[in-house]
Amino acid sequence: MKRYAYYLSCINESMTKEVDRSIDLWQNDLGIEFVKLHESTCCGGSNLDYVSPKHFALVNGRNIALAEKLGLDLVVSCNTCLMTIRTAKKKLDETPELKKEVNELLKKEGLEYKGTANVRHLLWVLAEDVGFEAIRQKVRVPLKNYRIAPFYGCHILRPSMVLGKDDPLEPSTLDMMIEALGGTPLPYEHKNRCCGFHTLLVAEEESLNVAAEALEEAIEIKADFIVTPCPLCHTVLDGYQAKALRQANVNSSIPVFHLSEMVGLALGYTEKQLGIKRHIVS
Amino acid sequence: MTGALELHTEEKRDITLRVFRFNPQVDSKPYFDDYTIQIEKGITVLRSLNYIKEHVDASVSFRAFCQAGICGSCGMRINGISKLACTTQVWDELSKCREAGIIKIEPLRNMPLIKDLIVDMDPLVEKMKQYSNWIETRMPESEIGKKEFLVSEEEFRKYDKATDCILCASCVSECTILRAHKEYVSPAVLLKSYRMNVDGRDAIHDVRLGELVKDHGVWDCTHCYRCQETCVKHIPIMEAIHGIREDAIEVRGVRDTSGAKHAEAFMEDIEKKGKLVEATLPIRTNGVAWTLQNLLPMAIKMILKRRTPPPPPLVKPAKGMKKFREMFREMTEHVRAEQKSHKK
Repeated sequence: MKRYAYYLSCINESMTKEVDRSIDLWQNDLGIEFVKLHESTCCGGSNLDYVSPKHFALVNGRNIALAEKLGLDLVVSCNTCLMTIRTAKKKLDETPELKKEVNELLKKEGLEYKGTANVRHLLWVLAEDVGFEAIRQKVRVPLKNYRIAPFYGCHILRPSMVLGKDDPLEPSTLDMMIEALGGTPLPYEHKNRCCGFHTLLVAEEESLNVAAEALEEAIEIKADFIVTPCPLCHTVLDGYQAKALRQANVNSSIPVFHLSEMVGLALGYTEKQLGIKRHIVS
Repeated sequence: MTGALELHTEEKRDITLRVFRFNPQVDSKPYFDDYTIQIEKGITVLRSLNYIKEHVDASVSFRAFCQAGICGSCGMRINGISKLACTTQVWDELSKCREAGIIKIEPLRNMPLIKDLIVDMDPLVEKMKQYSNWIETRMPESEIGKKEFLVSEEEFRKYDKATDCILCASCVSECTILRAHKEYVSPAVLLKSYRMNVDGRDAIHDVRLGELVKDHGVWDCTHCYRCQETCVKHIPIMEAIHGIREDAIEVRGVRDTSGAKHAEAFMEDIEKKGKLVEATLPIRTNGVAWTLQNLLPMAIKMILKRRTPPPPPLVKPAKGMKKFREMFREMTEHVRAEQKSHKK
């Protein structure tokens, strides 16, 4: 059993509870164990870094230090949390004075940011550590009749100097995951585009235009569903779908699944167990 | 085996450039022309286009000048990505072709088309004007011409990278929000605004920042990082955008915008609970009236699916918050002390 520290993302604790619920169901099936970091705090959601760069370094230095204390890598299942925490790690590793300042404060809690733990997305752990072949062997209900549009989202790809796993122009890991589960990944132009989440409350019309484009293409190419490794993308593409498509005068709909749910389905869990019935679009 | 060997020794081959064509004065709709020419290894896309214009079809229109990645004229989409034709090797593009041996050439996006690969840069220039992207000197008129205006190295470093911009508009072409709304400020303009705003010689910082925090300005960026990823000069454009936001929030106190309120809510919540209180985020960003009008129908759907974020009292704080809050507040003291010493 391979162990990892698991970061609790705010959105998965509130609006998209089905993500962690489905991971809990299948983690042992794939020979992995996620140790939840109940002390971890909000990463700042790609906002804290400019509101206060120093607090940003402290908060995320601490999040990583919690994993380091356990001697484990930190696994994240939200793209923006991933990008944010990795950005902080890069800053801390490149700026010794900042690292020192953060560590002075972390001492109060008996923590130290060393820079030893890697910060990785759930998708990367499945692809690299568990491996597609091992996953293929565990599949009980292959997704063989499903045509699936892979929507990667931005912050698992860009900025590539912080992320660096997939080619941001031609990402392939999620496509390979779909194949390993027996499904058919569709060529999907919007696979590496934006969902519009981060401007939803500031420039709603623009955000919904962005989301509508991605949804429309998936509908056009006759995908059975969209899958995304990011709960923020899911919130827009599922939760705001009706509003976005209404704005774009499109009279149709398409289900959107989390990566963790798609894995769960192929491993034989039911829609009810995985929390798929909680989605807005069914 | 022979295939690999051939590819290695091959120096010339027939390659097709599939070029976007549209002359609004003549054509009812755009189309593509295929030009198949023999190209040697080491030839750029721009030289290939020049060859086509000179020897195959003189009517193909594109902009180009320096041929060395300096003037920024030949921005276009090559195999779907905005870049300079003069610094793009044909050979490097072969592995990116959707159809083997066919390189697709299209005009930049998000700008009005004039003809073929030529787009209208005027809207971009107009935005540069709208956001006052030039320096108005702080030097009193009586001293102008008599005294040098020295810039420290430390200050120059703040905008050194930003001055690398050659206005090729590749970032503009790739921008998510500009595609969603043509009035959006756009990344190249934000980069230039940042560059002017951190220049100590400038006198109109506040005017510029005042315009930047309005609708369609700096807060509308959706952090997709496409601009930065495409920049032909590798300028960290997002850092510049974040720089303007940091300035708006911390330094100048331009807080009365939904963007700033939204960003600051994160700081507030992390200090209080360690977790984001999502339920009240729309209200704190845009007020009660906006929230009721815009989000009520969806909130009802979410309640039915039990997807609503918990009300503030039910948001479980992260474990060990007491110690965390102490650290957080001590960091606030550090930041305040630094700001004080900066002001001195």
